[in-house]
Amino acid sequence: MWDDQDFEQLARETTEAERPAAPSLKARLYTALIREQQASGPLEALTETRQHGRQLCVFEQLVTIAPMNSLQPVFYCQVCHARVLAERLDRPPIWWPHCPYAHFQ
Amino acid sequence: MREAVAQVELIPVNQIRPIAATAEDEREFVQALLRKDRKATAEFVDRFAGAVHSFVHWRLSPSAQQVEDVVQEVFLEAWRSLPRYRGDSNLKAWLLGIARHKVQDHFRGALRQAEWDESVEASQVAPAAVENELMYRERSERVQAVLAELPEQYRVVLLWRYWESQSAASIGAAIGKTEKAVERLLARARAQFRARYGA
Repeated sequence: MWDDQDFEQLARETTEAERPAAPSLKARLYTALIREQQASGPLEALTETRQHGRQLCVFEQLVTIAPMNSLQPVFYCQVCHARVLAERLDRPPIWWPHCPYAHFQ
Repeated sequence: MREAVAQVELIPVNQIRPIAATAEDEREFVQALLRKDRKATAEFVDRFAGAVHSFVHWRLSPSAQQVEDVVQEVFLEAWRSLPRYRGDSNLKAWLLGIARHKVQDHFRGALRQAEWDESVEASQVAPAAVENELMYRERSERVQAVLAELPEQYRVVLLWRYWESQSAASIGAAIGKTEKAVERLLARARAQFRARYGA
């Protein structure tokens, strides 16, 4: 009992069940990915993101009405308290729509 | 702002966005990621973090920090490799393929660094404690818990050999050991597992 074949069978019969990742982990992954994307050039401008049918959060909407287009590829979440809270708490007090960090909850 | 707050009542924060249902949807989604659309990037994380984390956690627990580090490596590697994604498999399967490579990299490092301690014997094990604690858990969780209790070199070699279906010869080649040496390690690991599993 319990030779090579037994373990091969056990491995076939037991594996991970998919479970949701913690919101704080998703928040950290998102931030890390955006930083990696920034390392190879600017992010997509927010107006273009909106033109592709994606919704912007209230702060991103403010940026899009600013007169300087050069501001748009900036990752504003970097200085937003929503990011800081979401990376540390699984239930951060973020409630405005279309914030990715709120969406991860 | 008042309008935005009013919308909150209509949009649950945990609302699941529609996922890419067709190959065409998936191609458009990948294009959005490559444009560095930050909303698509958030959706990418939201859709796949659970699958990747579950896969890595099962193989690398009990170290939560190692699990999170590897999960992050998987997503960063996925972003770097995305221009080469051809859509032969769906995104989730593709990501789990990257996760499998990262996990095996971890296994390789763990077994290379470990002192192959042949003095750890099954007599040091307390199988009853594991048995009692896990009496009502599902079998997979029980197996995972027993694996997590093993010394790292035993856990890694069992996972690599049986759950990742690698031969002793290929494991040996990856870590600079002979097939025989890996077989001896496997024999000790199986004995440890058996003693703790209580079968």
